[in-house]
Amino acid sequence: MLQELCQWLQDLRWATDLRESEWMFPIVEGTHVIALALSVGTLMVMDLRLAGWLMRREKVSEVSNQLMPYSLTGFAVMFVTGILLFCSQALKAYGSVWFQLKLAMLLLAGINALIFELTLRRTVTQWDTLATPPFRARLAGIMGMILWTGVIAAGRTMAYNF
Amino acid sequence: MRPFFEWCDHLAVANAIRDSRFVFPIIETFHLLALTVLLGTVLVLALRLMGAGLKKQPLTVVARALEPLTNWSVVVMLVSGFLMFSSEAMKCYENPPFFFKMAMLAVSILFHYTLVRPMVTAAQAPGRVRAALTGVASLLTWFSVAAGGRAIGFY
Repeated sequence: MLQELCQWLQDLRWATDLRESEWMFPIVEGTHVIALALSVGTLMVMDLRLAGWLMRREKVSEVSNQLMPYSLTGFAVMFVTGILLFCSQALKAYGSVWFQLKLAMLLLAGINALIFELTLRRTVTQWDTLATPPFRARLAGIMGMILWTGVIAAGRTMAYNF
Repeated sequence: MRPFFEWCDHLAVANAIRDSRFVFPIIETFHLLALTVLLGTVLVLALRLMGAGLKKQPLTVVARALEPLTNWSVVVMLVSGFLMFSSEAMKCYENPPFFFKMAMLAVSILFHYTLVRPMVTAAQAPGRVRAALTGVASLLTWFSVAAGGRAIGFY
């Protein structure tokens, strides 16, 4: 059923146009990568602070509150362009182990962020000024960096094998 | 310039990369990861120069914290980039986007280390307009390197 859905998606008029266009595909793909740098680049700075490896004298909440809007904006652009790219090559992506791995790591990164927002974020005032945040906060930051590195590596490998 | 490209093309390391199916994509993955860190740190610094992002922190604090990350990612990008280049040096020789990328890379590095860095580490904060313009210009130079890199594969 999923396979039929993928077939239907990539047979859509605009998905076919995107796949066959000489210029649109690289432009959408380039936008995806630039948005990636915006989103994951700012996220890395936040995660590095959480891990206690960067800007140790600055408040954790100050670093993340100031960068979060850019990270979310980048993520939104990355999400939209990612959906477009997926639809244009849905069947190939569906059959790619790397794509499945990428989705799995994206999901884990999302769960990691959600757990952090629902639990640790609520107690941030208690450890905001610590140069080295509590173990669980550091773990969330380090997990975030590892998972996003994995997402990028899997995404690249996937495109290489298309 | 052709002899230089031929010399690179004949390096032992270039042959080793060409002979393996896996080495090139692995090097390219490192190149991309360093790209994320480089563009990320350049972007956070540029945002700060434009008066956005980490604006509660003094410019010098943001600049000093990001500097080692920027420097290391430049090193990783140059090394991984040269390795990939050597494995297809003769292809690059015929590829206009490659020359555009190298020119923009030289501009970006010069701009960053001769103009941006002295400005962000100076004891006296730069004027707002000058800082904002420098931030925008810095982003434009690095993004044109990335765009040129992307175009190499499409030419």
